[in-house]
Amino acid sequence: MEFVNPEGLRLDGRRPMEMRQLRAEIGAVARADGSAVFEMGNTKVIAAVYGPREVQNKSQQSNDQALVRCEYTMANFSTGDRKRKPKGDRRSTEISLVIRQTMEACILTHLMPRSQIDIYVQVLQADGGTRSACINAATLALADAGIPMRDLVTSCSSGYLNSTPLLDLNYLEDSAGGPDVTVGFLPKLDRVTLLQMDAKLPVDIVENVMQLAIEGCKAIATYIREVLLENTKQLEYRRGL
Amino acid sequence: MGLLDSSGDLSAEMEVDAFRRLFPLRYYERHLAESIRPDGRPLGRARDTTVALGAVSSADGSALAKIGSTTMLAAIKMEVMTPSAESPDEGCIAIEFHMPPICSPIVRPGRPAEAAVVVSKQLSDTILSSGMIDLKELALVSGKAAWMAYLDIYCLDADGALFDAALLSAVAAFSHCKHLSPFLIVPTSYTLLLSLIHVSARYSLAVQIPVVSVNDKGKIVAFTEEGDGRKLEKEAVNKEKIKLTLGSIPFSLTCALHKKYILADPTSEEESIMETLVTVVMDSSDRLVSFYKPGGPALAYTSLVTDCVALTRHRMKELEKILDEAFSGMEVD
Repeated sequence: MEFVNPEGLRLDGRRPMEMRQLRAEIGAVARADGSAVFEMGNTKVIAAVYGPREVQNKSQQSNDQALVRCEYTMANFSTGDRKRKPKGDRRSTEISLVIRQTMEACILTHLMPRSQIDIYVQVLQADGGTRSACINAATLALADAGIPMRDLVTSCSSGYLNSTPLLDLNYLEDSAGGPDVTVGFLPKLDRVTLLQMDAKLPVDIVENVMQLAIEGCKAIATYIREVLLENTKQLEYRRGL
Repeated sequence: MGLLDSSGDLSAEMEVDAFRRLFPLRYYERHLAESIRPDGRPLGRARDTTVALGAVSSADGSALAKIGSTTMLAAIKMEVMTPSAESPDEGCIAIEFHMPPICSPIVRPGRPAEAAVVVSKQLSDTILSSGMIDLKELALVSGKAAWMAYLDIYCLDADGALFDAALLSAVAAFSHCKHLSPFLIVPTSYTLLLSLIHVSARYSLAVQIPVVSVNDKGKIVAFTEEGDGRKLEKEAVNKEKIKLTLGSIPFSLTCALHKKYILADPTSEEESIMETLVTVVMDSSDRLVSFYKPGGPALAYTSLVTDCVALTRHRMKELEKILDEAFSGMEVD
């Protein structure tokens, strides 16, 4: 199947280095301490952060840092066919772990000992790149909750089909069987925190594909900063400053 | 010296927020005495309600309903299944209500909230008994195939009156319609005799049932248009995207009871303080579909019951208007 046609356009009309349309909204869930909705094309994800709050399971309490928990669930209607078991299956557990470890590295947990921070991510519509959208949404939600972090964490995926590196794969491109690289990046510190790759990829191409994903992360970071700045302006305005 | 005295003395010196947290009942009673609530609403008024149709593009019908901060997302997916032997001409509706941990600080992952299970059952009972959907319309081939409509409702923000918002989103999702697309039907040697489901309804907009046909092995498959003019092997089982007839639509209102006050549409704070809740469901032909008062410290006298029903009737008119506006907004697109 042709994923990049001779004119250089992908299945949905994008160019190989073009990302899908991004849209973010802060404060979607009124009851949460911090929340955000993040859309990458047709993938729509909602994240809510509760914390820092009292640890529910005292045996897990840590005296010198905060406990970070994460749960990733997909809505029954998020994929093409209705999902029977939206959480507790292996994929959801793995992604929960990945998101938790990515965010934990970034949160200044030593500032909040004996407390717990819960990050809940719910996928409302899945069209490829849910992992990345979840990490981006979690970053925004943590920022909305005012939890101190070392840096923003942004994430983007890239792949290699028809001998072309592609940025931000959608579901069709993802399930094509080609390599799928997901990168989690800290823009200010210029460090990669998450790197996952599936399928075979020649060693000399890996560098290119990874660099493409990092560029995507930087672009998302710029967008997230804009959104946060706009949000802060709104808060200032409401307080009458 | 009872608590009443101490709180009365302290209230003069304490900050409003602290007083609200420490003595919530006294705080509310001060407001109720003036026939108003802390968010400025009169006792019988519900919060601002909005309905948005088509929130989930991959579903056959969907809606997002918000009552104040309480947000519910409902989506319907249709699948084909074999009907049971006792009712070969009827389809099926499966209703599930989920409260994911994002919606409220008291929901813990791994353990479904108590409220989720209760509301799920209430919703199921109300929708199936209200007669809004006629199951016979979901039949395809008698005894062999029928539609199963999976309705999933997700609570994205739980701030009181969960049942009301969930019912509203479910009703809106069932009424959501996508525009028709033309289908080619080429007669072949393999034809099936079927009854076309003729629909004429008061509420003519409804869930889009996808067009399907039966292949040679007797299995139901999705019907696809063959653009290259090749002769089709199968004929569409339902010739046009079928719309469900919606009977009378149920609307509900939850009220919190406290002494002699009735508070319509309580927030989660009010629900936790005033433990008695009453839910009344009425349909558009002014009939009482369900009355639900699961115990609680406040007792309901007959006058209270009629008052609740009257409040629900008033609310029903508001909700009907909101739903109509949502449909007409969508039709313009």
